[in-house]
Amino acid sequence: MTGILIGLVIGLPWLGALVLWRVSDERPRLQHALAVAFSSAAGFASLALIPFASAETAVRIDAGRYFGELTFVADGLAVSLTAIACVIGALAVIFSMDYMRGEAQLSRYYAFILLFIGAMAGLVLSGNLLFMFFFWEITALCSYALISFYNDDPKAVAGGVKALLITQVGGVGLLAGALTAYSALGSYQVSDLLAKAETLPSNFLALTAFGFLIAAAAKSAQFPFHTWLPDAMEAPTPVSALIHAATMVNAGVYLLARFYPAFAQVPGWTLAVTLVGLVSALIAAFMALAATDLKRALAYSTVSQLGYMVYAIGVGGVLASQFHLLSHAVFKALLFLAAGAVIHASGTRDMRRMGALGKQMPFVRNVFVFGALALMGIPILNGFWSKEMILEAGLSHGPIWALVGMVMVAGMTAFYTLRMTWLVFFGEARESRHAHEAGRAMKVSLGLLGLGAWTTWLLIEPFSALLQHTLPFHGISSLNLSELSHEVFTAPLTYAALIVIALGLGIFWMVRKQAAGRRESRMDVLSRESFGFEWLNRRVASWTVGLGSVLQRTQTGVLSWNAVGILGALLIVLVFLVWSVK
Amino acid sequence: MNISPLDIVLLGTVLLLAVGFYGLLITRNLIKLVLVLQILVKAAVMALVLAGKSSGNLGLGQSLAATVIVADTVVAVVALALAVQVRKHAGTLDVTKLSSLRG
Repeated sequence: MTGILIGLVIGLPWLGALVLWRVSDERPRLQHALAVAFSSAAGFASLALIPFASAETAVRIDAGRYFGELTFVADGLAVSLTAIACVIGALAVIFSMDYMRGEAQLSRYYAFILLFIGAMAGLVLSGNLLFMFFFWEITALCSYALISFYNDDPKAVAGGVKALLITQVGGVGLLAGALTAYSALGSYQVSDLLAKAETLPSNFLALTAFGFLIAAAAKSAQFPFHTWLPDAMEAPTPVSALIHAATMVNAGVYLLARFYPAFAQVPGWTLAVTLVGLVSALIAAFMALAATDLKRALAYSTVSQLGYMVYAIGVGGVLASQFHLLSHAVFKALLFLAAGAVIHASGTRDMRRMGALGKQMPFVRNVFVFGALALMGIPILNGFWSKEMILEAGLSHGPIWALVGMVMVAGMTAFYTLRMTWLVFFGEARESRHAHEAGRAMKVSLGLLGLGAWTTWLLIEPFSALLQHTLPFHGISSLNLSELSHEVFTAPLTYAALIVIALGLGIFWMVRKQAAGRRESRMDVLSRESFGFEWLNRRVASWTVGLGSVLQRTQTGVLSWNAVGILGALLIVLVFLVWSVK
Repeated sequence: MNISPLDIVLLGTVLLLAVGFYGLLITRNLIKLVLVLQILVKAAVMALVLAGKSSGNLGLGQSLAATVIVADTVVAVVALALAVQVRKHAGTLDVTKLSSLRG
């Protein structure tokens, strides 16, 4: 039964992708209907998979001598992420019915979205490192294709290429780690790596651990690879919601959480993870403070919140990080889709040109406010609980300076979130706009996600029990609601964090008059350049091009020169042979 | 110094290889290039037979050599036909002047 469900969860979206690829673009209604049908079916299948979660291998397919066995393991970590990917993916597809109405080439759009969802499910369910890598690369391909969906816009194409290139660095890290582990273990099975991590030679284990850290940082847009995510904002907004909330960027956090028990003993690894999380959260929050583009501000906020999750893993709070992943997936999808409704209605992404849109689109305003409150970490909404859990984990196991940084980020988050909400929906209208309320399909997705932002934290007991029972190596202890609320409300840290959040809100309230200022501050320029990392990116790119053009000179096409090359290679081989015979 | 027949064949192979490479390095005429490439391939054929003999798989070496001869004949025919076409279109057989495909 588990096997069939796993087949459905991966197979349904991929089948949908194949079918949609063949549907003519002259039948948009059929395209919308098929995409919604396939993605919702996958969403239901993923929910049905949750009760079958277990640490046992569910599917085992012999894939030959070199690949080992293709296995699928539906443990708690895998099924919860599958459910997030498929359900939020389905909601994004439903939202697309309104958002993409009248767009050309819908087949390409929906086919890649469904391929993306299926690949993400395969990535988290796969119990074989090599196949995990294959799925990992498919998600990279889909993100490239979707970010560059408007392929006659050079900015969109550049954003897609950048995302692809930077996440490929992570792909190399993952492959290097997997091959190192294979050379020491003789097996690609994830469970083998977790079980036998201590028997590995320590330098091999360290190589794997840091390879996976690079992979996770690149995929989750963490420092120093954070520059691709804001440029990925050229994608259609439901795609941004999908990448940011449900699929791609979660893969990195998933990778770290999955292998935490194996790598926790590697010297310096947890500190490195903590640092990556802290630095990402801090610089992304700084950039979000100054952003003027609504989607970019949300993108910076995603990097910052992912920083929280990575930090949580660094200080040993795997449960807290996964719980925040769940909360974040819900409220960030909500924020992105609501932003999509705003952009769709107002025709601009520049927050300085919006204002007072709340009167024209009250429904979107309400759900956006729910999402914003969750992002700020206001009590009762889901973001509050998971963020406090992360801070608690940081207090009990992490270095104190890192904790101070993370609490500060909480205040900055409150500041920029209120700034976004204020600039878009409240205050005075800075340009007269005729915005219309969101369409019916949009409202369905937004309403469900808005409900989720209020309620998903109630799932802490089944969620933590699921992780406890199906992850034998992680040592997660389950938590019920009263324990959680007791822990959160009796800890002094919670109140410290709330005070910082209130401080952030208060500071914004005092400067709200200047918030829509049209002049660029120095901070804008700095953050657009990602604090120098844009420059570094350009340097690396131009060095690569330069190296290519130098090597190009060796391609003369003159046969005599090629013969010289052949002779030289022959001599080298001969020398090597003689050397090795001695 | 004891020289076996195999050593003589090996010496011949190396000599053929050297002649082929020397021709490849100095010649500019397309037809001559095809010829020196043929000489190089003959060195390879000899090496195959030699390797077959010295490893005890004489049959395998000979059959591989026969395969190479057949394939190489076809290559030579096509190359010469191409050379004729080049002469027709470009008016020259000097390879240093044939650089219109350079990119």
